[in-house]
Amino acid sequence: MAVAPPPTRRRKRRMDKVVEVVNIPLNWLEERSGIVGGVKYFLFRRVPRDTNWFHTLGSATLTAFLVQAGTGVILAFYYQPTPDEAYESIRHITHDVTLGWLVRGMHRWGASVFIILLFLHMGRVFLFGAYKYPRELNWIVGVLILPLALLMGFTGYLLPWDQTAYWATVVGINLNGTGPLVGPLLAQFLRGGDEIGAETLTRFYALHMLLLPGALFALIGLHLYLVVRLGVSSPPWSDEAAGRERPEPEPSGDGGLVRPRARVPGRPRGE
Amino acid sequence: MASRYITESREQHKRYKEDVEREGKAFHPYAMFHDTVMSLVVVCVIVGLACVWFFTADEASEPDGASTSGTLGVLYEEKADPGTTSFIPRPDWYFYFLFYLLRIFKWPDSVVLGTVGLPTIALVLLLALPFIDRRRERRLSRRPVALIAAALTVVTMGVLTYKGATAEEGTGATGDVARWIEENNIPEGDAQEGAQLFAESGCTNCHTYLGSGVANLGAPDLSGIGNEMDADQLQAYVANPRQFGNQVMPVYGDTLSEEQLAQIAAFLEASKGGG
Repeated sequence: MAVAPPPTRRRKRRMDKVVEVVNIPLNWLEERSGIVGGVKYFLFRRVPRDTNWFHTLGSATLTAFLVQAGTGVILAFYYQPTPDEAYESIRHITHDVTLGWLVRGMHRWGASVFIILLFLHMGRVFLFGAYKYPRELNWIVGVLILPLALLMGFTGYLLPWDQTAYWATVVGINLNGTGPLVGPLLAQFLRGGDEIGAETLTRFYALHMLLLPGALFALIGLHLYLVVRLGVSSPPWSDEAAGRERPEPEPSGDGGLVRPRARVPGRPRGE
Repeated sequence: MASRYITESREQHKRYKEDVEREGKAFHPYAMFHDTVMSLVVVCVIVGLACVWFFTADEASEPDGASTSGTLGVLYEEKADPGTTSFIPRPDWYFYFLFYLLRIFKWPDSVVLGTVGLPTIALVLLLALPFIDRRRERRLSRRPVALIAAALTVVTMGVLTYKGATAEEGTGATGDVARWIEENNIPEGDAQEGAQLFAESGCTNCHTYLGSGVANLGAPDLSGIGNEMDADQLQAYVANPRQFGNQVMPVYGDTLSEEQLAQIAAFLEASKGGG
């Protein structure tokens, strides 16, 4: 009769089995898409050791955007984009739907937080000089996100169909109309007629729910891809900034050029 | 030359990649920790704002009425009513800078500068920034121009936003009607009726008249408009400003009756500049 292996050995074997089982779908996925490797690369890629809290503004902005996306979908379950029902549905969401007030409140205030974080993130990138080579394109993508976010604010403002919404949009669209050449056409297009009404509301709804979020998702995706591809830059004041200028190496020969490998937390042992 | 700037930049980025590979930390868990904490803070702030907003305001007492105003404002205003003419439009706070910018420019000559010109210039400058600033230097102490530009931008946006937020609103000017009639010698009858309507219909939310009202969105002062246009022109203009190329002013032909339009036109025709 085989002697039962000692408990530690048994536990290890059980662990191996679990890992094996978990790996079956992951391997299946990896073999067909490479996505597991992609996620691993994303998570375990190296970033400069001196990144700090300032570097969290980008992901904070992303979080605010995702809050908008999530709460926006929930609001869309209840919202009715017609002049007769929009206002009622907003009141219904605010007072009757379970936690509807929270979702609407988060969407309403999340918009402001999103805009503030966008500006802070942009300011951080500007002050760090992080838009310089090779990150110029990513700066441009980021700048394009800004007017889209403002347009989200503008189109979302009409949807509650209350007095502020209506009259601010009247003025907003009329201001669009002052633009040269395309101005009046744009105003006409946004209104969907001569006056603001049902068609204006459905147009703003479509822009707010389909076109603008789609464009934002695409641009944010591209933005993140470029962040991962190019890497984030060290704070400019850092003494250990990645890519810092090195003093000219001493011309003297042996061993002078060999740098000891720095011990860094997070580096897998035994490599 | 293959541009010294680009050669040096490439070398620097190569060095950057090597440094990150050699000295860098793994994104997860080190940077991820900071990001997660910050994201939680963001979500908490949003939830906090939503709670303060909701719990300090109360439901409307009547079906289409506004909710009571809490610390962070109302939950909703009254239902939209295209028939009102006196409602004062206010954009969300992040458009206040634009709102105030439009007080600086006057219709019709330069309002387009405020609505299209300056915002477009700002956007183009932002997009072009990496090509305007073609130096490798990133330390702020050695980028005085960038520092000053940033400071000026922040101050300008801050001041414009603040001014937009605190801009006085042209609340009903009905208390000034008697003074207008006296100062501009408005004749009795239609013209005086028109003065009352002018004060009630929200005209002074954008136009100034003998010191009453506030200039918004580039609208001109109307104290002496009677010197420039006659009653027929004025009536047609107020009824549909679009015909005259004015895209900003609301169309009043739908909300005011023919008679009311004629009264306002009579009042404006009699307005000869307070002389």
